[in-house]
Amino acid sequence: MREITNQIKDIARKLFEEKKIDMFLAWEKSEFDFQSMPFFARSAEEVEKIIFDEFSVHNLSNALLRFRDGKQRIGIVVKGCDSRGIVRLLEDHQFTRDRLYIVGVCCPGMKDPLKAFRNESGFEKTANADLEADKCNDCIQPNPVIYDVLLGEEQPPRMQGERFKKVKEIEAMTPDERYAFFEDKLSTCIRCYACRQACVACNCRTCIFDESRPQWVGREANTSDNMMYHIIRASHMTGRCIECGECERVCPVHIPLMLLNQKLIKDVDSFFGPFDAGLKYEEGAKPPLSQYRENDPDDFL
Amino acid sequence: MKVMKKAKVEKVIEALAKEHDVYVPIQRGAQTGFFSYRTYNEDYDDIMLDTLNVYQPPKSIVFPQTEKMYGFKSEGQKINIDQVFEESEPKIIFGLRSCDLKAIDYLDELFFTKSYEDEFYRARRKSTVMIVNACYNPGTSCFCDSMGVSPNEPENADVLIHDIGEGDFAWEAKSDKGEAVTELIKDLLEEQEATLPTLKNFKRKVDYEGVAEKLKDMFDHPMWEDMSYPCHNCGICTYMCPTCYCFDIQVKTAGEEGYRFRCWDSCMYREYSQMAGGHNPRELDKERFRNRFLHKLQFFQERYGEPLCTGCGRCIVVCPAGVSIIKVIEKVKEADV
Ligand code: SF4
Ligand code: SF4
Ligand code: SF4
Ligand code: SF4
Repeated sequence: MREITNQIKDIARKLFEEKKIDMFLAWEKSEFDFQSMPFFARSAEEVEKIIFDEFSVHNLSNALLRFRDGKQRIGIVVKGCDSRGIVRLLEDHQFTRDRLYIVGVCCPGMKDPLKAFRNESGFEKTANADLEADKCNDCIQPNPVIYDVLLGEEQPPRMQGERFKKVKEIEAMTPDERYAFFEDKLSTCIRCYACRQACVACNCRTCIFDESRPQWVGREANTSDNMMYHIIRASHMTGRCIECGECERVCPVHIPLMLLNQKLIKDVDSFFGPFDAGLKYEEGAKPPLSQYRENDPDDFL
Repeated sequence: MKVMKKAKVEKVIEALAKEHDVYVPIQRGAQTGFFSYRTYNEDYDDIMLDTLNVYQPPKSIVFPQTEKMYGFKSEGQKINIDQVFEESEPKIIFGLRSCDLKAIDYLDELFFTKSYEDEFYRARRKSTVMIVNACYNPGTSCFCDSMGVSPNEPENADVLIHDIGEGDFAWEAKSDKGEAVTELIKDLLEEQEATLPTLKNFKRKVDYEGVAEKLKDMFDHPMWEDMSYPCHNCGICTYMCPTCYCFDIQVKTAGEEGYRFRCWDSCMYREYSQMAGGHNPRELDKERFRNRFLHKLQFFQERYGEPLCTGCGRCIVVCPAGVSIIKVIEKVKEADV
């Protein structure tokens, strides 16, 4: 990865020197070895701090939302999942392609700095033996799907075995069992909205959960308001979630958000597919649920 | 010295639980926090008196995330308040750490002083006994002593217990409330010689001296924008913090009836500072980011004489973007103004 770090730095330095970009998004090291954090370089000098290592797990495409109304030209490093986030932003008209210089990196799988820090912290009884980011175990697209330059060797998908296995287990439950399962899981959500904030597909300017006139969802952190929150959040992801897994990774109380997302990914694929969001960018393409077709299936309604 | 032997720990908790709702640090599945002993399930839960701390701080016991205040019913033009939900059942927080006790001291300052006393908080707080587990082994993210907290000799504990090895704890009553609960379990304690451990060195230090003063001139400093870039403006750091206390008051109605409740809120959210006329004084992410640190490091210090951070380290561990309050304090110290 040192090799890739150097390549990224060379590219970023050159882009600054040729005045092709105003900012470059990558990672820098923080205090601990496992602490890589998003970094926003704004000059050729700052490029020196950039790193890319096994803890560069964050989906930086989400950080582009911060600059969507600006004019800055931005260089950005993306892994496979993050590149699908870029497609999300382009399809949603949140960014224009000409403002971006995309450095794609074929991803060998990442470790999770949050897991590593939890192990160190003394806030948990048992340590996580493996630091692999859970999201990487379900990854179907480790190689970037959109880029100006591609680094590293192409990688095989990391997902092993049957796709949607966990979803199928839940589908096999009776409605009562399923309700009890989600009641148990969702009752402990603290409604910190980190799952929303970390998500590149959550790009509405005013989120329904922040509306106060009227207020659509109650603010009590109890089972019923939490369920309402999760049903709405998940359904707004239908056909849009690019499976980067950031929502579940950042959740401080380990709510299995990807289960809900994957159920919807599976349904969209079987009803309107074959389809996986953000796998390729075609200008003007109309992905499922962004248009109405007379023959759209509706027996699930 | 009185000692609670390892084999007696659960018996002590059980005995206390007869007349109190006892909250214990527990690993429950993937989560750790203070949970009521009434919900303790041997197959599922693991009591954590031997670990450093738990993620979810005990503040929710005296200041719940969602708390009903009063219920009402409307009859024609009239509205009658027919219920007030004050909660004063006797409670014990068993095994909290000094940083989290100090955080509750700050809640006391907030809710009891400066000419306003909050009845809902008072009802819960006055009926709660604090059994504090003294810290001798600060963790990788701890910096409480830098923030003016003593890890092993906290003020305001009702009972102080000390891990003396082998799972045994020395037991010291420190207040009248503490004497009273000690009386309830005195037969379960043994009298024996015990040497208290020595406090190990902190791996983390930060120099807070002069920070509040310096921040007065740093409202428009460019560092806020730089530092706020990685931040998601989620509320993890504020909801997991033992001291953050901002709340909102809202109402829920169904037909003619309803209730008012308060619920935690976070300065990280845009909605938090949204005003009725449509103006938002903290529209930008960086302004909300800045507010979190100014409140902790400057405003609270100015009003109450102490910073609103006890150095528990939770926000640093759980932040998905790697934001660290220690780094912020260091940046303030280094900044040119
Ligand atoms: S699911 Fe997790 S990240 Fe999302 S609001 Fe709930 S606690 Fe926060
Ligand atoms: S819902 Fe979760 S997995 Fe899907 S795009 Fe958003 S953060 Fe990524
Ligand atoms: S500092 Fe971290 S935990 Fe706090 S709002 Fe920002 S991203 Fe979330
Ligand atoms: S600001 Fe962070 S370190 Fe300070 S008390 Fe809150 S969670 Fe703990």
